[in-house]
Amino acid sequence: MRLTRRRLIAAGGLTAAAAALPAAAAPPVRVRIRKFAFDPKTVSIKAGERVEWVNEDIAPHTATEDNHLWDTGELERNGSATLTFDTPGTYAYFCAFHPKMKAQVIVTA
Amino acid sequence: MTFRLLSAAVLAGAVVLPAHAAEPMNDLEIAHTAYTAGQLDIRYAHLALAVSENADVRSFAETMIRDHSAVNSAAVDLITELNVTPQDNDLSRALVKGAADKRAELMGLSGNAFDCAYAQNELGYHQVVNKTVEDSFIPAVTVAPLKELLTDALATFKVHEGHAEQMVSNLQCG
Ligand SMILES: [Cu+2]
Repeated sequence: MRLTRRRLIAAGGLTAAAAALPAAAAPPVRVRIRKFAFDPKTVSIKAGERVEWVNEDIAPHTATEDNHLWDTGELERNGSATLTFDTPGTYAYFCAFHPKMKAQVIVTA
Repeated sequence: MTFRLLSAAVLAGAVVLPAHAAEPMNDLEIAHTAYTAGQLDIRYAHLALAVSENADVRSFAETMIRDHSAVNSAAVDLITELNVTPQDNDLSRALVKGAADKRAELMGLSGNAFDCAYAQNELGYHQVVNKTVEDSFIPAVTVAPLKELLTDALATFKVHEGHAEQMVSNLQCG
């Protein structure tokens, strides 16, 4: 998705491209998983935006919503997953493999 | 220095290490022992999956297999890249022997007795391995990427230690 955006920028110029981008094409907010923690621990986005999790640890991790509403599945080292959040709410999540790893996504309307 | 401590704690005095086991280990011996320690924990985990019916114990065992496999696969990548061969040594052999004895003991158990024995062994095993990796292996290792890998591995094993502690307390083994 970021590649797409870069292409848009190259083609149309920064201001035009940025203005023309629909909300869904905004780059995802990135959460790094490193040293057995989600960083940042809280991300706030608007409905329709995306969050990308990138695992920088050797150990595999997941980002799994507390009530299993959503789940990235297993992320191996350097693996990533992007989810789109359409419904406003506060979503607490954890790592299904290392349950002490906790964080949250806040989605506003 | 703490190599003797590791062996003593893991083996509970069952095996007397030869005197030269306390001599400093080289990088290739350390790599061998760290890899071996991971493989042994994977074997314990497979035993737990074969015996235990406790969901928490099973999910812990699955995490041990997943994480130790990931760390050891990174170790294999590094060994391949450096084009070196890890060296078997007295500490590795003592660990293998101690784990074989422990597995034999665990195989005679079932139900809550197995779960408690497995959980307590996981806690003790990670405690001594972590102490050895932290106090002896990491300071002694001379090759930077190996030191880095051991440091990452230690972070992983410390999480396991905390997780094992929680498991022991949840099982109420008394
Ligand atoms: Cu995790």
